[in-house]
Amino acid sequence: MALFDQRPAYAHEPTVAPIEHRFSPYSDNGGTILAIAGADFAVIAGDTRQSEGYSIQTRYARKVWQLTDNATLATNGFAADGKNFVKRVKQRLEWYEHAHHKPMGLKAIARMIQTMLYGRRFFPYYVYNILGGIEEDGTGAVYSFDPVGSYEREACRAAGAAQSLVQPFLDNQIYFKNQTPAPGAEAFVPGRLPMATVLGLVVDSFTSATERHIEVGDGLEMYVVMKEGRQTTDLTDEGQLPAGMKVEELGSMGEGRGEKTFLVSMPLKRD
Amino acid sequence: MEYNGGSVVAMIGKDCVAIASDLRLGQQSVGVAMNFEKVFPVNDKLYYGLPGLATDVYTLREQLRFRVNMYRMKEEREITPKTFTHLLSSTLYEKRFGPYFLEPVVAGLTTPTELEPKPKPFISTMDTIGCITTPKDFAVAGTAQDKLYGMAEGLWEPDLEPEDLFETISQTLLNAVDRDALSGWGAIVHVITHDKVITRQLRSRMD
Amino acid sequence: MAAPGGGGAYSFSLTTFSPSGKLVQIEHALAAVAGGTTSLGIKATNGIVLATEKKASSLLLDTSVLEKVAPICPNIGFVYSGMGPDFRILVAKARKIAQAYWKVYGEYPPTKVLVQEVAGVMQKATQSGGVRPYGISLLIAGWDSHRGQSLYQVDPSGSYWAWKASAIGKNMVNGKTFLEKRYNDDLSLEDAIHTALLTLKEGFEGEMTENTIEIGIVTVPTAEQLQEKPGERLPPTFRKLTESEVKDYLSL
Repeated sequence: MALFDQRPAYAHEPTVAPIEHRFSPYSDNGGTILAIAGADFAVIAGDTRQSEGYSIQTRYARKVWQLTDNATLATNGFAADGKNFVKRVKQRLEWYEHAHHKPMGLKAIARMIQTMLYGRRFFPYYVYNILGGIEEDGTGAVYSFDPVGSYEREACRAAGAAQSLVQPFLDNQIYFKNQTPAPGAEAFVPGRLPMATVLGLVVDSFTSATERHIEVGDGLEMYVVMKEGRQTTDLTDEGQLPAGMKVEELGSMGEGRGEKTFLVSMPLKRD
Repeated sequence: MEYNGGSVVAMIGKDCVAIASDLRLGQQSVGVAMNFEKVFPVNDKLYYGLPGLATDVYTLREQLRFRVNMYRMKEEREITPKTFTHLLSSTLYEKRFGPYFLEPVVAGLTTPTELEPKPKPFISTMDTIGCITTPKDFAVAGTAQDKLYGMAEGLWEPDLEPEDLFETISQTLLNAVDRDALSGWGAIVHVITHDKVITRQLRSRMD
Repeated sequence: MAAPGGGGAYSFSLTTFSPSGKLVQIEHALAAVAGGTTSLGIKATNGIVLATEKKASSLLLDTSVLEKVAPICPNIGFVYSGMGPDFRILVAKARKIAQAYWKVYGEYPPTKVLVQEVAGVMQKATQSGGVRPYGISLLIAGWDSHRGQSLYQVDPSGSYWAWKASAIGKNMVNGKTFLEKRYNDDLSLEDAIHTALLTLKEGFEGEMTENTIEIGIVTVPTAEQLQEKPGERLPPTFRKLTESEVKDYLSL
């Protein structure tokens, strides 16, 4: 067929050029985490939205993980790295328990996390970690980490997408920044607030962040780690919790001293 | 916006409004002045804040002074917050393709009249080319914008009396700018009520 | 320099004063107004009425298309005596001025501001090269939150006055005398509309029907009407009466 014998004038010779493909090993999955220490308890919280860019991947993805009876870890950043990191922390904790016949203390977990993170100094876990729980001396504690293991014990810390919204609020309400006690009144001491107040501040922080940040919302999970001797009723009593909360006591994870961990959860706005 | 730094916040209260700014003027990371107010009066019931590029603060302030004075003479009346917002917006839009690097915030009260006996306290904010939003609670702008949102969202509540509104806006501003390297170095707050304007300078962290 | 025509050397140059201090072209423009059909306006306690006679030069004309009372923006309206084409140009300019004001301030101009702008346009035509003055006088009625309802007259020279009641055009002198007798300070809008009709009737040639007169009114809004509702516009304070409304007023 003569029709196909000749290429028409407008069709150029085909050219072949290599297309460059580059694999990016990281992504940012949004969300926010937050932890506050009390005198004999700690609250570790995170929202449950997981997103990539403007797309919501899931409305329920866990960011807070119970490690032992007295330690709970929150991860934020690249969700895949977060999950894998928690898996390996848990593995190391198990090995420790086999070797030493006791669970690892909070301070030791913190140091171990820094070692594990720094071990990947040149291909880091893209994760911001916040560790909360009860110290061996019975005090509530919060440790915060950067992705390569720089860490610090604090009374509170926010991290993730809405860190810039939440952290100044915590400075003000937990560290009493820019506040002066009335003349003759007691000086403010950070880390001594009652549990009901702390839970109220966590809820306020997350509802505020949900209101103004697109990557925060869907659900809120607050893990409350209480020192041995504190009662379940400390949490469930009238007035201890804002309305609309679901409380679940989590079972013991091994040979602890009797610390209790509770999961308090509530819905957040989904828009 | 990040060249000189600075932040402004405005809030609505019960028959009052408040507007506040930090006092820092910088050149990138270097601090230059600690007395650079970013909030200016139009009349005793209307103030506006101009966070952004300092040179544009001066230019736009003079431009607005000119236009408001012309309005005052032509119309033989004071400009209302709502009308001023539109004037400011159209002034910004004139420079649609070479904008002023400013994100203005307006706060004011409308004088009650027989036909409008209970005018609502008014705040507004706009982007660099004059797109207006008129919130019912608070407006924030500047390099500490996200921090201000977090603080204001947590502290603000409806129908605050002037003294409580002062406390709320002060804590909002101070704690937000303390987490912003480009804002701070002191602050100034104006609370506008129907019979007076309360202006206070705030002491703050100077780092 | 000897110029042709009876007016002498000053009658053709618009921008040259005569020795007696007059700009004769303006005088001529006023003469054009005085030859135009009568229009009048009356301010009441709760509004303003503008009224004019609309006479067709031939019974073959379709008068329903003629428009002598013109809304400029939701709160202001014009009526004129003099040259129709000049009026339409001025109405177009005034509407532009009102919309330009809206673009800047987000609201329509107060009556006085629009009057000053339009007077400025008319004045410019007395001082610029290559133009002639507008051959019309205007009555401008409007309402604004600052000054309430107000009624103005603007002449070809650009002079303007605020009136309680005024008449312009052919029957201006008789009309004003009539209004002076009838006017009082606590006239209601309904009274004013009837007074306007009675004034027009003085010296009206032919039959006064809904087809031969036009009426525009300003109404003072209530506080309720001024409440802004989302997605809704405020109701206009100036509007023209429909032919059936005019008919009703005539039959009373």
